[in-house]
Amino acid sequence: MSALSERPANPVVGQEIPHEAASLHVTGEALYTDDLAVRTHGILHAHPVQAPHAHARITRLDPSPALEVPGVVRVLTAEDVPGVNDAGVKHDEPLFPSEVMFFGHAVCWVLGETLEAARLGSLAVEVDYEPLPSLVTVHEAIEAGSFQGGQPHMERGDIEAGFAGAAHVYSGEFEFAGQEHFYLETHCSIALVDENGQIFVQSSTQHPTETQDIVAHVLGLPSHAVTVQCLRMGGGFGGKEMQPHGYAAIAALGSTLTGRPVRLRLNRTQDMTMSGKRHGFHAQWRVAFDDTGRLQALDATLTSDGGWSLDLSEPVLARALCHIDNAYWIPNVRVNGRIAKTHKTSQTAFRGFGGPQGMLVIEDILGRCAPQLGIDPIELRSRNFYVDGQSTPYGQPVRHPERVAICWEQVLTTGDVATRKADIAAYNASHEHSKRALAMTPVKFGISFNFTSFNQAGALVHVYKDGSVLITHGGTEMGQGLHTKMLQVAATTLGVPLSTVRLAPTRTDKVPNTSATAASSGADLNGGAVKDACEQIIERLRAVAAGRLGVHPADVRFSDGHVGKVGGGATVPWADLVNQAYFQRIQLWAAGFYRTEGLHWDSSAMHGSPFKYFSYGVAASEVEVDEFTGAYRLRQVDIVHDVGDSLSPLVDIGQVEGAFVQGAGWLTLEDLRWDESDRPSRGRLATQAASTYKLPSFSEMPEVFNVALLERAHEDGAVYGSKAVGEPPLMLAFSVREALREAAAAFGPAGTSVDLASPATPEAVFWAVQEARGGAEPPHMTAMVEGAPGVVPDQPGADAAPLRPRSEQAAQPARAGT
Amino acid sequence: MREAGKGAGAEPREDDVPDLATLSGAGLVSGLRKGDAVTVQSRTTPAVSFTLNGAPIEVAVEAGVSLLDLLRERLDLTGTKKGCNQGACGVCTVLVDGRRVLGCLTLVAQLDAREVTTIEGVGTPEQPHDLQRAFIGADGFQCGYCTSGQICSALGMLRELADGVPSAVAEHVAAQPGSSELEMRERMSGNLCRCGAYNGIVDAIAAYADAAGGHR
Amino acid sequence: MIPASFDYVAPTSVADALAALAEAGDDAKVLAGGQSLLPILRMRLNAPEKVIDLGRIEELKGVSEDGDHVVIGAMTTYADVLASDLVRQHAGLLTDAIAEVADPQIRHRGTVGGALVHADPAGDVGAPALALETEFVITGSGGERTVAAADFFQDLFETAVGEGELLTAIRVPKHTGWGHRYEKFVRVSHQWSIVAVAATVRVDGGTIAEARIGLTNMGSTPLRATAVEQALVGKAATDEAVREACAAAAEGTNPPSDLNGDSDYRRHLATVLARRAVLAAAGA
Repeated sequence: MSALSERPANPVVGQEIPHEAASLHVTGEALYTDDLAVRTHGILHAHPVQAPHAHARITRLDPSPALEVPGVVRVLTAEDVPGVNDAGVKHDEPLFPSEVMFFGHAVCWVLGETLEAARLGSLAVEVDYEPLPSLVTVHEAIEAGSFQGGQPHMERGDIEAGFAGAAHVYSGEFEFAGQEHFYLETHCSIALVDENGQIFVQSSTQHPTETQDIVAHVLGLPSHAVTVQCLRMGGGFGGKEMQPHGYAAIAALGSTLTGRPVRLRLNRTQDMTMSGKRHGFHAQWRVAFDDTGRLQALDATLTSDGGWSLDLSEPVLARALCHIDNAYWIPNVRVNGRIAKTHKTSQTAFRGFGGPQGMLVIEDILGRCAPQLGIDPIELRSRNFYVDGQSTPYGQPVRHPERVAICWEQVLTTGDVATRKADIAAYNASHEHSKRALAMTPVKFGISFNFTSFNQAGALVHVYKDGSVLITHGGTEMGQGLHTKMLQVAATTLGVPLSTVRLAPTRTDKVPNTSATAASSGADLNGGAVKDACEQIIERLRAVAAGRLGVHPADVRFSDGHVGKVGGGATVPWADLVNQAYFQRIQLWAAGFYRTEGLHWDSSAMHGSPFKYFSYGVAASEVEVDEFTGAYRLRQVDIVHDVGDSLSPLVDIGQVEGAFVQGAGWLTLEDLRWDESDRPSRGRLATQAASTYKLPSFSEMPEVFNVALLERAHEDGAVYGSKAVGEPPLMLAFSVREALREAAAAFGPAGTSVDLASPATPEAVFWAVQEARGGAEPPHMTAMVEGAPGVVPDQPGADAAPLRPRSEQAAQPARAGT
Repeated sequence: MREAGKGAGAEPREDDVPDLATLSGAGLVSGLRKGDAVTVQSRTTPAVSFTLNGAPIEVAVEAGVSLLDLLRERLDLTGTKKGCNQGACGVCTVLVDGRRVLGCLTLVAQLDAREVTTIEGVGTPEQPHDLQRAFIGADGFQCGYCTSGQICSALGMLRELADGVPSAVAEHVAAQPGSSELEMRERMSGNLCRCGAYNGIVDAIAAYADAAGGHR
Repeated sequence: MIPASFDYVAPTSVADALAALAEAGDDAKVLAGGQSLLPILRMRLNAPEKVIDLGRIEELKGVSEDGDHVVIGAMTTYADVLASDLVRQHAGLLTDAIAEVADPQIRHRGTVGGALVHADPAGDVGAPALALETEFVITGSGGERTVAAADFFQDLFETAVGEGELLTAIRVPKHTGWGHRYEKFVRVSHQWSIVAVAATVRVDGGTIAEARIGLTNMGSTPLRATAVEQALVGKAATDEAVREACAAAAEGTNPPSDLNGDSDYRRHLATVLARRAVLAAAGA
């Protein structure tokens, strides 16, 4: 046990407590960014002018007619930008573009006294466009050689030797869809300028520091002139990691120019048509197995659909490559990645951040190959699990690989899998038109930002003279329970009851230079920083207590609001000790800092140990498929997931359930469609409302849903022995997709291998059933090929650049005012 | 090729038409067009009187103002949230005469003499309603954005169960509805939760209904 | 704000509503429950000068009995129809279908008349109304006229309700003792039908004596599957016989290929759902 992971007696961490803002949430008192608008006097409203072309040059933009519209105060255009006209960190996202890069791209913004005035103003702005040829699908981009950013290459072993000696070789192609975040709170920023020219932005952002950076460079100001605050978000899921910055910059620019507060809240259609989504991917692969079904070699080329700008596409792709192995040992590996540049929204972070896309490829491969190999998929998967001593294709030793096996065994037992498999076989034998299947899939997910530098965090802990405690940290709250966990960490470290500690909103003037609340790392990083700050205070108080209690400082114990001697005896109330310390002129607040130790990563070589540890989990899902319609029921889901020693079990169970549901939505229901026709609406997002983009509702939940946290799962490398939880369970939903595949296959003869589209909507399952029964190929699917040469993954050209570390890029002076 | 034209929507455009697809089950259709820009005038309705969270209220607002916007933008009652503003997510659910409706699809003008209850009228942090306590106890939310709608919807739903209103999952429409978990899920499916806190929500409603001697 | 600005009137009688309609002409939109109209106005797909709200006209609300018919006022909400014993007893197919309309929130404000006049082909009341051979009572300045169901739905979003007219009621012939089932196919609960089939049948001694089948979202209007109806008459209510008859369910239809489903898939679904609906309606 490390100093970081060891828990004191009676810790507050590990207790099942409600969310810190629970009573505010259930009464509607909890404030989100837009709720502040009505509380802000004299606020202006921003409305975009969205271009009706997928790709076009702007030949004329005349805002003057808008100014004639009653209530319009100002139109913001490129000429108004005092700093850099760019909303991204890659300098490829002009805030006010001269070239329209996707259908719905905002070309300028109108400020009005009312939203309606701003809207009418946006209709009055005159824009002439010269339409240009556009690339809307990943295939079109591949065909045209339209790529952006670095092209990572990951290799281990001897790929050709791996194929040469193999008993079975298969190859194929697979394309799968992205996902709309559909956080129920759309993007929102409110900006105002104080009497001293200080910009204050309230933003629904997962990354306040980067929002601050972008606002500052757009305005040409140093960072200290901009403060960003995030009270909380109505869901983020990665969609508010990089996407909020431009909106915040528009609000801040408008406020700077008018001297009035500005509110920019996207309506649902604007949010869906303007903000980035999970990347869809295209994959070419060939795979080799030995005669016992052990993986020998994997050669794959992944092409992500990046949309119009780089955004986070490079790190998303890197994480996809780093997760193509999932939980499986593959001795010989070669994986290439590239990012298609298409005329769509700039695809971005989404829970899992490329991990799900990489893992979906290998799970799809195993699901398609198992029947060909004649091995039950449950057996095929478990036979290939990592064991101790093996490393990932990028060279990181896999620590605690046995946890996958333990989770697997536990699900087999608690889910009564053997009995149910027998029941399913009997059911299928007696039901011609309805088939069931049970599939199990594992998750191994690397925790830490791939890019080492981001693995740092800060916190500010104040102890007031009366003993009450106020904490602030760099992480943001979006429903994942981070604030709840941080309160528990502070109470545990200080040895005070939870009620003694209060948390103040996340702001860049409290804790600077923060990383995004992302990569599931919020609790690991900020928890480390909160703990550090609390420990500094405790060390100072320890000396005061030692004097008062007459014991050695090392023997002072802080527990449950009392300070005493280890082993018992008289105690002093926490508040009394604090008060005494104040009069002794002891500093009662501290800034905490944490950086994850032991990480190293060479992104150019795609090699190193980028992750502090791996999170593990296993799910078993049982489905029933109707032959006639492809409709299915999710009859039962059993999950065992490794969250280390849970900081907050209620929160963690909720995260596992919610991530699973969101993953199942991505894989089975949510179908993003763009207009791929040659009509003028080409490139338009066709699914731009809840009525056309189908989200899982209560009725799509598993009928039986059992979630357990792995016990005795202490993690040495993280705060109080816990593990990150936000993203990994999303990938447990592969079990649903694989169960659907197996149920569809059950309509055909034994050994049928089924190609299944993703998302596996009832219609897609229907076509898969038709294929299993010997009918036609499912639309949009390429059948798997047995033997060589089959599908040969594209290899990068000589001019393909590797990923460049962010630190190299950061070294280049690019930002104004810094 | 140069295309003369205004920013967006000033002229009816062919490519606006698919917008209707988002409002219709009919997919891509034609026949309706985006309207021309209309001049803003302050057109007010006669004052509308209704009861809001137990207190009488009289308002005179433009005819196009929804109950949701009245609450949020004019009355500072921001507990009711805006999710899709198209009637597809359930986030803005409130109770009118005890029945659940969507704030975004109700005009203020339609509220004459009605009784409106929003989350602010259900309970307060100091004095929460038992259902609100149950949501806390069962962890019936994550980000909290859909929560006020879930709670108002659940109150309406339990009343519908008590009134014997049939649902699509009932064995037979003539049968008195049961209150199985399946039934509850079906009846709550108009309220989306993107965080997927559905289990906690169902548990919370069930716990409340059980304690209330209700409908399970 | 919902829509572009408009004048709002809320007459309390049909006569006043007709007068308001006549005065405003083309520039008016009639507001029933508003569950489709308000989103349309909000997205500026339509920008009327005047909105005439029928919500305060009591004579348009409620369910009553008139001899062989159940009469449903056009402004009766889905929820009130769903709760009506009269409808349940004599036109159970409507109850079945309305239990599947959107979600309860929508059902509390949405009205049967509003939905029928809106005539969204994916809406769930058109097909059962058609199958039940409902009569549509349309009122204009010249008085009342009654239109047969077959003539009511004319095209996408177009009905027999003319300019200056209102749908005031529907008269549903009693189908007392008939079996009924609305089979709706969706990807996620409470969404628009991808396809649905409304079936009501009269079984006499194990044989189907009469059958009426309506199809939802298989074309630009609700459709009647007459070939299936004819094929069913005189057949035993067995899986095999019904399956054979329902194979023709998509005959003569032209369903759309759109975001929710392929045309071919819809044609296939129609046959499956028709079989299921008929078998359930026949109590088989």
